Amino acid sequence: MLEYIIQNKEIIKLIYGLAIVTICIAIVLKTDRLFRLSYHQGIRYFRNALFFYGISFIFRYFLLQSELFNSTFLSYDLSKFLFEFFIIMAGFFLLYSLLWKNFESEDPYPSSLFNKHLMIFYAMTIVILLLDYIWAGYYFMFISQIALFLAASIVSFNNYSNKGSERKFTKFYFIAMLLSLSAWTLNAVSALYLNWNIFAIIAVYMFNIILFIILLYGVFNVTRKQ
Amino acid sequence: MTKKRGRLDVIRDILQVIKQNRKIKPTRLLYASNLSPQMFKDYVDELIKKGFIKVELEEENKKYFSLTARGNNFVNEYKVIENFIENFGL
Repeated sequence: MLEYIIQNKEIIKLIYGLAIVTICIAIVLKTDRLFRLSYHQGIRYFRNALFFYGISFIFRYFLLQSELFNSTFLSYDLSKFLFEFFIIMAGFFLLYSLLWKNFESEDPYPSSLFNKHLMIFYAMTIVILLLDYIWAGYYFMFISQIALFLAASIVSFNNYSNKGSERKFTKFYFIAMLLSLSAWTLNAVSALYLNWNIFAIIAVYMFNIILFIILLYGVFNVTRKQ
Repeated sequence: MTKKRGRLDVIRDILQVIKQNRKIKPTRLLYASNLSPQMFKDYVDELIKKGFIKVELEEENKKYFSLTARGNNFVNEYKVIENFIENFGL
């Protein structure tokens, strides 16, 4: 089994990336429709988060290609920069979709990509990217994402304790945030201490796939007409 | 103590009243919406701008509000949207 995985790891990575991009597209299309009906900022930021995750996994594919074949459509540095940028921003959007009510009024901003609150996230992302570039690794991305999903886990646990009895999906959303936190932590440990151990990476893939399936299930199940 | 209505609840209430009446005069809608005149104006302007309601002028230039297809969709899907927001904690 392990031999099979090692022999086919590039195909597995490709299928994994494609699966996540497909799930992201499905969620973005569904939530975009809900946003256009309601103009609700939380839905808008959640949609943006999944849109950015989808884009980041496309650049991740180019990154893997450039690592393997040394020259592709995009250079290694540019692929790494774009992959990191979109995945960090996706995390910020996801957390902000849970917190936006504390910072904004319910009147939507004209743009959900450029407004004064999001500028802080863009600035933080650029700083993280620069630090990772200087240290030639992903350390600051890992730290930022672990901190971010720790916060998202706390907020979603709070939502679950307050509304869990009437809103069943709040429990699954909390589990999804915990899975993401576990995936980022394991990813960091495997990169820093285990030299990208194959078992740790497979576990990260599994956590991520389950997380995105939970979100997909949630979006389609919760929005199903009664 | 009753809970303060959120923005989506106010919009749902306004559209629901228009839907029940098919078309309604501004003053009647103001009373039914339970909002201050200024807030009512803000909401109505926003709903017209976003294409949820339209203004019809009838004989003697009397103004009425009625729902557009988009507004009708919103009323029908409000439960779905509310359910989504609450379940995802958005």
